[in-house]
Amino acid sequence: MNIDIKYISKLARIKIEDDKFEKFEKDMQSIVDMVENLPEINEELTIDRNNAMKLREDVAETNKFTRAELMKNAPMVQAGCLVVPKTVE
Amino acid sequence: MELYNKSAAELSAMLKNKECSAVEITESVMSRAEAVDGDVNAYITLCKESALEKAKAVDAAIAEGKELGALAGIPIGIKDNISTKGIKTTCASKMLENYEPPFNATVIDRVNANDMVITGKLNMDEFAMGSSTENSYFKKTLNPHGLDRVPGGSSGGSAAAVAARECIVALGSDTGGSIRQPASYCGVIGLKPTYSSVSRYGLVAFASSLDQIGPLGTSVKDVAMLQSAICGYDKMDATSAYRDYPDFAALLSTDVTGLKIGIPEEYYGEGIDAAVKTSVMNAVRELEKKGAVVKNISLPSTSYAINAYYIISSAEASSNLARFDGVKYGYRAEDYDSLVDMYEKTRSEGFGDEVKRRIMLGTFVLSSGYYDAYYKTAKLLQRKIKQEFADAFSEVDVIITPTAPSKAFRIGENTDNPLKMYAADVCTVPINIAGLPAMSIPCGDDNGMPLGMQIIGKDFSEQTLFNTAYAYENIMGGNLCKMPEIK
Repeated sequence: MNIDIKYISKLARIKIEDDKFEKFEKDMQSIVDMVENLPEINEELTIDRNNAMKLREDVAETNKFTRAELMKNAPMVQAGCLVVPKTVE
Repeated sequence: MELYNKSAAELSAMLKNKECSAVEITESVMSRAEAVDGDVNAYITLCKESALEKAKAVDAAIAEGKELGALAGIPIGIKDNISTKGIKTTCASKMLENYEPPFNATVIDRVNANDMVITGKLNMDEFAMGSSTENSYFKKTLNPHGLDRVPGGSSGGSAAAVAARECIVALGSDTGGSIRQPASYCGVIGLKPTYSSVSRYGLVAFASSLDQIGPLGTSVKDVAMLQSAICGYDKMDATSAYRDYPDFAALLSTDVTGLKIGIPEEYYGEGIDAAVKTSVMNAVRELEKKGAVVKNISLPSTSYAINAYYIISSAEASSNLARFDGVKYGYRAEDYDSLVDMYEKTRSEGFGDEVKRRIMLGTFVLSSGYYDAYYKTAKLLQRKIKQEFADAFSEVDVIITPTAPSKAFRIGENTDNPLKMYAADVCTVPINIAGLPAMSIPCGDDNGMPLGMQIIGKDFSEQTLFNTAYAYENIMGGNLCKMPEIK
């Protein structure tokens, strides 16, 4: 199957630079050609009943982080809020 | 012998007998790292001050007569995708170049609770995507056994640091072979534990259903001790298994009488170097001489595993890495004219090429119209592979295969060809697909470059893996991990 790099890069929010596009497209197509070699399996997916997961009790806990700690790594902060470009005109 | 060249178990005994101090151990390891890391490039961040401070605290506790655990005072290096509070956790990406987590991963809390000394953060392929550590944004780590060769990946920094004795033990993560393949290339011991036995809380997610943190070291006992320290139920990881684990190191045994070893023909076919096959089978014969029983088996879907792996892991990666948008943390592009433009520029500038390829592949296989053909089929294949392993384990106790198809390849040899790079993981990805535990131990060399054999077990059979490896280590005279000359 062919991969439409322009469409997929839009979905993935990744731009491929023009000078790298041809090589990138070729590499991606060779990867898709590799992974699509799969056997035909006419079965349906089911839930694994042997899964050992245990859900924790629904108990309220106090957040152990302060607002400042959580926002310390943000690229742009103003008045304790994350700053992003204007989204509504 | 220098302190840095001893195992954790030896150092632990020396500390107990007051033959050395924790500060002396840390100083020895730090001087070693400062002497050789200019060549090896294993560390992204070296934490000399905090390490010495911790070592001093351990010595003080010992002086006060406090009862400390066996790993107290042992220097440990941490892969840079495991969150360390206040210490940069970069995932070897421009995206997280300056990111300092506000919390510790659960494994770090356990390392601290065991009074271990964190030496620093180790290099890796960006976001753990790669097989050579050449995808790091910061630098290329070189193989201590041959500086013109890769250390493997993605935990290349962890394996190289342990091999070069720049730390005594290390933590890595393994999504498709990222602990075992570099362990094989660098001639050290690495364990990929059973999925769900070690908490993933604080491990920066790549493919959540396959990722698993695990230990690396230069002796089987060290790896067993570290695994005991980090495994166990954690309420912060919803996939964490609710069960108890034995004290692996205390139960080590060299008795392999009657141990049934399966040899799957699919792992010894085309594409596997003759030197690798010979070394692994020689090791198997040694175990046979000690009473193990060798049986040929078949795992028919093996050749499809790598395809299922790239579909499932990339699908999960595309979803997990959507969080890197330049808003909450991490890199943000400088110039943009809208929110979408900011997302696109941030992600295009912040991620390297391999990460972009994986995100794109994942986005493609999950996109409308392709889901059934790719993702659903891969998940069905995963079930089939799991069943084939389960059938095999009804007949044998362990399965032994090569860890990688060859010795470490040369720097730059596969960087232009993603498919050749992916082939380095052909022997390791099926184990992650099946969620099983597996370890790589050195079993010989090819012109001086180490080769590894992979011992695979059923779910939660780590003790059997350790005992098999321990028996082989004992047969070989007690030391499998040769000290490299670093040249």
